[in-house]
Amino acid sequence: MSANRSYAAEQKRRLIRLSLLLLATIALASLFLFAGRYPEPGFTFPSDWTDPMVSTIVFQVRLPRILLALLAGAMLSASGFTFQMLFSNPLVEPGFLGVSQGSAFGAALMIVLGTGSSALVQASATLFGLTALLASHLLAKRFRFGGALLRLVLSGIAVSAIYTSALGVVKLVAEPTRDLQDITFWMMGGLWNATWNQIFSILSIVVACLVILFSYRWKLNLLSLQEKTSFSVGLNPKRDRLILLVVATVGTTLTISITGLIGWVGLITPHLGRKLFGSDSSYSFPASMILGALFLLLCDTIGRTLLPTEIPIGLLTSFLGAIIFIVILSLKHQEGKA
Amino acid sequence: MKALELVRISYTYPGGTKALDSVSFSVEEGESVAILGSNGAGKSTLLDLLLGWNKARGILLFGKDLADYGRKELGRNLALVPQSEHYNFSFTLLEYTLFGRSPYLSQMGTPTEEDAAIAVEALGEVGLEAYQDRPITSLSGGEHQLLLLARAIAQQSRILLLDEPTSALDPANRMRVISILKNLFEKGKTLLFTTHDANLAYELATHVAMLKKGRLLCYGTKEETVTSEMLTTLYETPLKVGSIEGRTLIY
Repeated sequence: MSANRSYAAEQKRRLIRLSLLLLATIALASLFLFAGRYPEPGFTFPSDWTDPMVSTIVFQVRLPRILLALLAGAMLSASGFTFQMLFSNPLVEPGFLGVSQGSAFGAALMIVLGTGSSALVQASATLFGLTALLASHLLAKRFRFGGALLRLVLSGIAVSAIYTSALGVVKLVAEPTRDLQDITFWMMGGLWNATWNQIFSILSIVVACLVILFSYRWKLNLLSLQEKTSFSVGLNPKRDRLILLVVATVGTTLTISITGLIGWVGLITPHLGRKLFGSDSSYSFPASMILGALFLLLCDTIGRTLLPTEIPIGLLTSFLGAIIFIVILSLKHQEGKA
Repeated sequence: MKALELVRISYTYPGGTKALDSVSFSVEEGESVAILGSNGAGKSTLLDLLLGWNKARGILLFGKDLADYGRKELGRNLALVPQSEHYNFSFTLLEYTLFGRSPYLSQMGTPTEEDAAIAVEALGEVGLEAYQDRPITSLSGGEHQLLLLARAIAQQSRILLLDEPTSALDPANRMRVISILKNLFEKGKTLLFTTHDANLAYELATHVAMLKKGRLLCYGTKEETVTSEMLTTLYETPLKVGSIEGRTLIY
């Protein structure tokens, strides 16, 4: 059957493009190991590997940083994609249900309490991110206004606002020379302090989250439809939604507990993924993950090499993200070609 | 074989509204049943119960309690054609139709070439196969209804549940949907549809269940049930069953 073959051919084309994208990302990541400001600004392939400074910079500074960029980019994008499908809204990201603000509050609180332990900051950010999700969920159940989705949006706004003001209070009482700076840096996001220890502390859980979300890549399509429709084709939408929300939230909060708040990745790269690979999430989901990794890798590399001082990554993701966003939305008329 | 057996089904919404009160009837496989009633009679509630979306005791599907069906197993036996569908992502028609193959896929699975062939055939049955690569956002209202039907056909279930299948359609599309449904019926598919349109019920159904304020007014073949007296009682409006050019017409 010809239509049958054309479906198979299209799947194959998408798979090939996906593989190329993955290879390009890996190639660039390897290349960027040699980009930086030592021994001199720009690309330098060290001639002298015995120089202890070179191997320290490449393997202890740049490599963990690059891996963190890839991991964080993939996770933030995967979460953004998942939230967009679950809420059937292409403008949604994990910040939507107060998750980011909750994590920010959790991290700031632990910084101010001065435990000095990054593991505790991570745990606190994750805990409060989850608390925000739970609060939004419970609050939405109590609201007597609008449909399920609208109630969740409204409770998310309320929870976000509460955590934002609580964060304000924490910043007020923060010790200004050290703690406040830490909080401010965290709010801007950055990968400059990436270490192997930090990566290992989140690696297994974040990878597990990515694998679970990936296993739902086709079902995400169905979960973007009316709940009754996805139910009628054999899904358990209420259970699936809960699993996906929790997994996406845990992955996001753990990631941002190390990187700080990095905006726009979770919003923009899923758009780009769908634009390049079509709406079917079995391909656009993995594509978004890779694009998220690539986007954060590029932003971070620009941020650490372009100027003698580091450009905060949040500034770059917002700036480049907004430009990509404008371009994608201006190309909207192409959608009809699918 | 009995496809569906309803034994004194009652349902009260969490808010306290009693929507169905002791409704009983049974449907043989291969029959086409219209659930007829005015707005608020409990038609949609009944459909939701049959789908398993809301739970009630006393529903047997092919002799087995509905509550004992697994989610996917139920999806292979019952497909739903909702009144409408909302989507914010521009899937292609083929991608959307493939969603009907979900009950046959594993947790990690994605549709195979065989699934694609079934989906294309389903699109063919509703006359949309030429548009399979177009985005669903480009469809007209009538084509949209046909696509919902194609997705349910691709599900290859033994029973098709339809919620007001023609209420939003113009006459041409209405006739198109009716002819597709008649075709499915002739192939042996069991149909169960809600409607407030007695003419549609008479045209498409073998049996009619009349619901009034949550209670079953009557159940039987359409010839037994669709009478001037019954319809007048059902709608509390004088209605007549007549015949024009050999066709039965309710007016």
